[in-house]
Amino acid sequence: MAIGADLEYYRRAERGEFDLGWLRDVRSEWGVRAKPSRVGLTLSDIAIGSYGEVPDVAPRRTMAPRGSDIDADVPDMGYTINSKAEVWSDNVMSLYEEAVSRQWSATRDIPWGDIPELDPDIEHAMCQLCTVLSEVEMVAADFPAKWLWRINHDYVEAKMFLCTQVMDEARHTEVFRKRALANGGGLGKSKAVVEQFLKLILDADTYDEGSALMHLLGEGIVLSLFRAGEFLSPSPVEKKIFRLCMQDEARHVAYGTMHLRYRLARDPSLAADYHAYLDRGEEIISMLFTTPDVVEPTAILAAGGVKQAQELAMGATDIVRGGVVQEYLERCEHAGLPRWDRITLPPEMLTGVVGLTDREVP
Amino acid sequence: MEFPCDQWFERMVTSASKDAEIYERLGFAEFRLVFEVVAGDDARRFGLVLDGYDVEYAGELADIGTFDAVLSGPLDAWREMVDNIEANGRADVEHTLIRLCLAGTPLRLVAVDPMGRDKFFRYAETLQTLVDATASRLTQV
Repeated sequence: MAIGADLEYYRRAERGEFDLGWLRDVRSEWGVRAKPSRVGLTLSDIAIGSYGEVPDVAPRRTMAPRGSDIDADVPDMGYTINSKAEVWSDNVMSLYEEAVSRQWSATRDIPWGDIPELDPDIEHAMCQLCTVLSEVEMVAADFPAKWLWRINHDYVEAKMFLCTQVMDEARHTEVFRKRALANGGGLGKSKAVVEQFLKLILDADTYDEGSALMHLLGEGIVLSLFRAGEFLSPSPVEKKIFRLCMQDEARHVAYGTMHLRYRLARDPSLAADYHAYLDRGEEIISMLFTTPDVVEPTAILAAGGVKQAQELAMGATDIVRGGVVQEYLERCEHAGLPRWDRITLPPEMLTGVVGLTDREVP
Repeated sequence: MEFPCDQWFERMVTSASKDAEIYERLGFAEFRLVFEVVAGDDARRFGLVLDGYDVEYAGELADIGTFDAVLSGPLDAWREMVDNIEANGRADVEHTLIRLCLAGTPLRLVAVDPMGRDKFFRYAETLQTLVDATASRLTQV
C-alpha cells in the first residue's frame, strides 16, 4: 500500500464534494436488518448474511469484520490462530452476552461494612485462602491476554468472550485482595507449587494446551472451590463473594468444556495431546492437594476452627476435593476426553469419586 | 401456606416482575430448573424457567422433560429452608441453595450433563435472590 496523503482528495473535500460515490460499488449487504431478541440485540441476532458465516479457515489475517468489503492490500496482522476449531465453541456468543449482562463490582456489590470480627484462626484461614485465590485468578486473565492478539479477527466472538474473562479475573483478583485486607488479617503466604501450576498455563506452547490446563482443569477446580465457599464462608459477606465469583468461573468452564468438545469433534487425533497436557496438570494439582497453605485454610474454615478441624481431620475437605475431582472428570467426558481410566491423581485423592471403580481405574 | 404449593413458586415470578431492576442488574439467564420434593416414596416436581430477564413458573410436572437440572431433596429439608427464609427474610448461611446441595445432602443437584449442572452455578445469585424473595414482604430485609 502506498503511503502518503491524498491531497487531491483533500482539496475536493475542502470544496465539500462528498457523495459516498466510493461506497456505491462496495460488495455489501445493503438492506440487512438484524432483529433484536427479548434481551436486546445480541451477537446471535446479528450473525446473519455473510457476517454470520464464520469460516473454518480464515482467508485473511486482518482486523476487518467478516462481511465487509476488504481492500486487497490490507496488511497481514500476523495472527497465528487462523482456524475456527482452535478457539471456537458453540456457546461462545451466548456466553459473551451473559458475561456482559452479569458483570458486578467488587467495590459496590459486596457489603464490606458487614464483615464481623472473626476468631483469629478463622480470619487467618480466610486471608490465606484469599491470598491463594488472588494469586491464581490473575493467570486466567494473563493467559487469554497473551493469546488474544494471535487470534484471527474472523473469530472475534471468541476474542470478545476472552476479553470478558480478563475483566472477570481482574475483579476476582481485586475482591480477594480486598477481603484479605479488609478485616485485620492481611495477605498470607505464596507457595512455589501454586506458581508452578500458573507457570505451566502461562508458558503453554499452544492455545490448546493452555486452554485445557486453565479452562478445564484449573478453573474447574476453582469453580468447585468457589462452590464450596458457601460451606467455608464464616459470614454472608464471604458467601456473596464466592457466589458472584462462582457465576463468572462457571462461564469460563462452560467455554473451556464446549471448546474442547468442538475441537475434538473436528480432530479426534488431538485427544492424545490433550491427555498429555492434563497428565502434567494433574501431577501439579496433586501437589496442591498436599500443600498446607491450600489444605489447612480449607479444612479450618470448613470445620469452623482449628480444634474442630483437628477432630475432623480431612473429613470436611474430602467433601470439597471429592466434588472437585468428580466434576472435573464429568466435564472431561462431556468434552469428549474421558479420563476415568487415565486420571493421574493418587488413589488416596480419589476417594468418594463415583464412577472410578466401575471403570477399573488403578 | 404449606410448602410445596403453587403460591410459593409464584412468589418468585411476582418478585422477578415487581423487582425487575434487581434482576436486570443481576443479568439475564437461560435455565430450566426442577424443584423435586421427596416424601417417602412419592416425589413431586415443580418447574422454574429463567428466560432472559423473565421468570416463569412451569407448574407441577409429570416428568423432568427438557429441564437442565433437578434440585432434589426430602420434604423436611425443603420446609426447613422455606421456614428459615420466612423467619429471616432471606436464607441464612446454613440454608442457601448452594450450601444445602454442596455435599449432596440434604439437597442433591442432578443433571443430564455437566453443562446443565454448571448452569445452576452460573445463575446462583439470581436463583438465591428468587428463593429469598419467597419470604413474605413483611419480614423481607
